[in-house]
Amino acid sequence: MKRIAGFTIAFLIAAGTSLPATPAPITTNTALPVAKGEYVFRQQAIFNQSGDDPSGARRDHHVAVSASVLGYGVTADLALFGVAPLAYKKLRMTAPGGARVTREDSGLGDIRAFARYTVYKRDMPGRTFRIAPFAGIEFPTGDDTATDALGRLPPPVRLGSRSWDPFGGLIVTWQTLDYQIDVQASYQANIEAGGFEFGDVARLDGSLQVRLWPGELGDDTSAFVYGVAELNLINQGKNRMSGVANPDSGGTALWGLLGLQYVTPRRIIEAGVQLPLMQDLNRTALQRDYIARGGFRLNF
Amino acid sequence: MNTPRKCLLLLFVPVMLLAGTFQAWAARVHTFRVDGLACPFCSYGIEKQLKAIAGVSSIKISIKNGTVTVTMKAGTRLTRARAGQAVRDAGFTMRDFR
Repeated sequence: MKRIAGFTIAFLIAAGTSLPATPAPITTNTALPVAKGEYVFRQQAIFNQSGDDPSGARRDHHVAVSASVLGYGVTADLALFGVAPLAYKKLRMTAPGGARVTREDSGLGDIRAFARYTVYKRDMPGRTFRIAPFAGIEFPTGDDTATDALGRLPPPVRLGSRSWDPFGGLIVTWQTLDYQIDVQASYQANIEAGGFEFGDVARLDGSLQVRLWPGELGDDTSAFVYGVAELNLINQGKNRMSGVANPDSGGTALWGLLGLQYVTPRRIIEAGVQLPLMQDLNRTALQRDYIARGGFRLNF
Repeated sequence: MNTPRKCLLLLFVPVMLLAGTFQAWAARVHTFRVDGLACPFCSYGIEKQLKAIAGVSSIKISIKNGTVTVTMKAGTRLTRARAGQAVRDAGFTMRDFR
């Protein structure tokens, strides 16, 4: 149980504190506007594989998530977002007796809702600079009480955290006709519930999107292809069980993503792969192999 | 007034009246620039805000030039204030309205 509880819940880390719906980065937010009265919908599939196990239990952890995001422009400066994840989680490991066991669950995870407000904007011909803080709550909508033949599922397989977790941050965006840069700093406080508490998560994310096509813009150009490169620096504190920190959890990771986006006035189609560039995790915390993402966005 | 002059007046006045009426009813085209617009996905917000204005017949947006061309239905017009509000509600800045 100690080994199982020692997992870093890297999905929460790697999937991001918030999936943006507006045009922009794949793993983080942008400060670009959602027009007043406009809706932006995003669907993203995320596949997460972890198998580099320093504990000797040969843990193999798969997470597949289909995340739906809906954004709405209350005003040109204030946008509201909701994120609803459907997840499938599976953990295979060698039990103390030597048998290989599989533990899994699927269903709705914890829903997130947040607001973003543009506090500074400077528009110029063909470019814009914006600053927007955001804040929200992760609701305990995912089931964390599921059991199987071995008893209650361990935290890495549970769909929810049972806790109301606040988060917030600041986004800075610089966009031109040729490229876009987004930088985000954020923090999520994970609250104790049912005697268990995930470590708090602090992140620094950066995204660069470069227009690859067309090489030269025409007067009627209405579609771009962007190459996307992102970095995610993530630190998670140690998990706590009944107030006692688990030394086999938490740590710092740096992720890199390469991806592509096809962008038109009404839709975006995108895909990317994240690889860990550095993982400094505590003791036997399970290390991640890769994260693959793909999806689309629509506005209406 | 002699007869030729009368004939001229009788022709001139209706022609001028007709010309004035035609001008009032012809479709108007307005152009303006939008600062801050730099990607296709953002242009939809501008289009949606402008389409909500009564009388708008068609909209053409050039992302490269940052220009918007709005064609109004005959007999309607777009004011600078209304266009400016639509662009602000889209999250951008308007200038050089014509």
